[in-house]
Amino acid sequence: MNNQFSAEERRFREECADWLHANAPRERRPLHAADALDFDKAWQRRLFDAGWAGINWPTEYGGRGLPIVQQVIWLEEYAAAKAPWIGANFVGINHGGPTLIMNASVAQKTYHLPRILKGEAIWCQGFSEPGAGSDLAGIRTKARVEGDELVVNGSKIWTSFAHVADWQELVVRTEEGSRRHKGLSWVICDMHAPGVTVRPIQKMSGQIEFCEVFYDNVRLPLENVVGGLGNGWSVAMSTLSFERGTGFIADQVKQAQEIEELIAQARRTGHMRNDVIAEQLAHLRAEVAALRAMTYRNISEVVRTGQPGAEASVIRLFGAELGQRLERMAILLAGDAILDFRYGDATFVHDYLRGFASTIAGGSSQIQRDIIGERILGLPKSR
Amino acid sequence: MNLTPDTDDLELLSATTDWCQGHMPLAQARQRPAGLRQDMRDMGWFDMTLPSAQGGLALSHATEVLVFAEFGRFLAPVSAMAAATANRWRAASSAQPRSAPPSLAILANDQWRVFDPAGEAEVLVANADTVQLARLPSDLVACEGLDPSTRFAMMAPSDNAPMLAPAAHRHLQLLSAAYAAGCAEAARDMAADYAKVREQFDRPIGWFQSVKHMCADMVVRAAVARSQLYYAACAMDAGDTDAAFHIAAAKRLADHAALDNGRANIQIHGGIGMTDAAAPHLCLKRAHLLAFITPCHRVDLLGAPE
Repeated sequence: MNNQFSAEERRFREECADWLHANAPRERRPLHAADALDFDKAWQRRLFDAGWAGINWPTEYGGRGLPIVQQVIWLEEYAAAKAPWIGANFVGINHGGPTLIMNASVAQKTYHLPRILKGEAIWCQGFSEPGAGSDLAGIRTKARVEGDELVVNGSKIWTSFAHVADWQELVVRTEEGSRRHKGLSWVICDMHAPGVTVRPIQKMSGQIEFCEVFYDNVRLPLENVVGGLGNGWSVAMSTLSFERGTGFIADQVKQAQEIEELIAQARRTGHMRNDVIAEQLAHLRAEVAALRAMTYRNISEVVRTGQPGAEASVIRLFGAELGQRLERMAILLAGDAILDFRYGDATFVHDYLRGFASTIAGGSSQIQRDIIGERILGLPKSR
Repeated sequence: MNLTPDTDDLELLSATTDWCQGHMPLAQARQRPAGLRQDMRDMGWFDMTLPSAQGGLALSHATEVLVFAEFGRFLAPVSAMAAATANRWRAASSAQPRSAPPSLAILANDQWRVFDPAGEAEVLVANADTVQLARLPSDLVACEGLDPSTRFAMMAPSDNAPMLAPAAHRHLQLLSAAYAAGCAEAARDMAADYAKVREQFDRPIGWFQSVKHMCADMVVRAAVARSQLYYAACAMDAGDTDAAFHIAAAKRLADHAALDNGRANIQIHGGIGMTDAAAPHLCLKRAHLLAFITPCHRVDLLGAPE
């Protein structure tokens, strides 16, 4: 084992850092998704023009096709340069696009993939429903086949960027009376189609980013189904194999920056003389280091075997909870200044409030613990 | 950059596990055979990172911690880490005495608390930031303490015990982190095994999320400890300027994992976990002992206060 990057990797790191420092927007990304849309699109276009869009997409689809260690380096430098989040492009680049690459027809890929990479088409995800959160297989939004069309009725919720999206990766029940994972289909939904209504939901942080989406006899061409009717569950899950454990690297670098800032702040304000706070900061610093070590270990596993280890859920769980501990520390150090917070502020108080999502969205910490208990330890399945 | 064991490492690890199972099963941790540490020495485990010019195996610390985490998992004698540290850093001129591997001592007020002292000629003393190598008096009588798998004796500090190189303290801290990471894993596995077979309400208790999630948290703590252990060992191998921080962090997280997993393991075992006859208390008590061997101080993680 060794923790050193090769000379070639170090050169690549310099290349990333140079480009990012010269090109990353200096202005803050607007808080609300609708206000940030032009910003997000322009940044994605700049990434694309310089060949940095879709770093993990195969080159045949216009991506950069970087080996995994170089992806890690790019993401680390991206965060170190404080480059903005790709925002509204997130779903297309990290989920919708990869799903199309793995499952879609040539025509679907030819049309959609370049638009995603260039930031021209915004995608959103349509998985969660009011009655299907952690229990995703409880999807009830239906689509019946009429001629060469699907007619969709139902609703989705917690759909980030739905109000600015052009397309949606929509999972619907296409088989009447089917249960659980069977009878679902993954379909490309035109968000501008008649019968689609989007209602933004304001978060407790003040931010407007996720939405509720209603489908009232929405007609979609049958050819928009990806991976065949009834295969929606496996199509939706196929993207997991595209995700090689790099998903949270930028967050980790931010956490490393955050703990250093908190330590500096505590020294400045005299909080470091408080033993309890000093002890917590010391422990957090050790944990932040360990999170990076865990990620490197997981990445090494991918290099060795081609698969991320089962420990990906461990990283997910630990990283999310660690992020929240850091946000709580920032709140603690700030004292009553947090009471000045107003909706629209994009401060650490906003991050703290928004950060509650990290143990809920995309598989709650409770679900992660089930996965760890069952898949790593082999405990009997509860569900 | 590679933080997973390679094929050679995995072979060594598997051979180590087999040996430990055969020679020092955890269940017999309180009655170790008299010649166990001599047997461990003869396996070459105390000379793993010693340069080949000095008769060592010239392996990396990254490989060494794999073996020592395994020792931790079997609640091996804690003095093994002292033996490896002493062999690596003792002055090349002073030949290793063949009598017996050194014991390990920590400071106890104005005395030394010596672990595994039976019939030893030397003791490696772990101070706050340094280690030194002293002679043991021959008349020490070992007694039992909190950790049933580690006997100890008290002795007066001896003058003129030579200090080893500053790196020796880091080496010992790294190995004690490895022990603690292994100890955390032993508790995790014991809890999970029990949760699969113990039935209540007509099903294995591991079915219940209240139990399953406790076990999952044990997995997380153990994975955090082992990951940082690997990174720290690599940082020491590479001579990174922040190696001391990473080793201290590894020690902090491994101790935390060993203690918390030790406690959770007893809770998952319920009544039987309260007994002397069952093994869970052995992990907990070992975790308490390890926490006193080269503990990680706040200053190791945060630097000196300004």
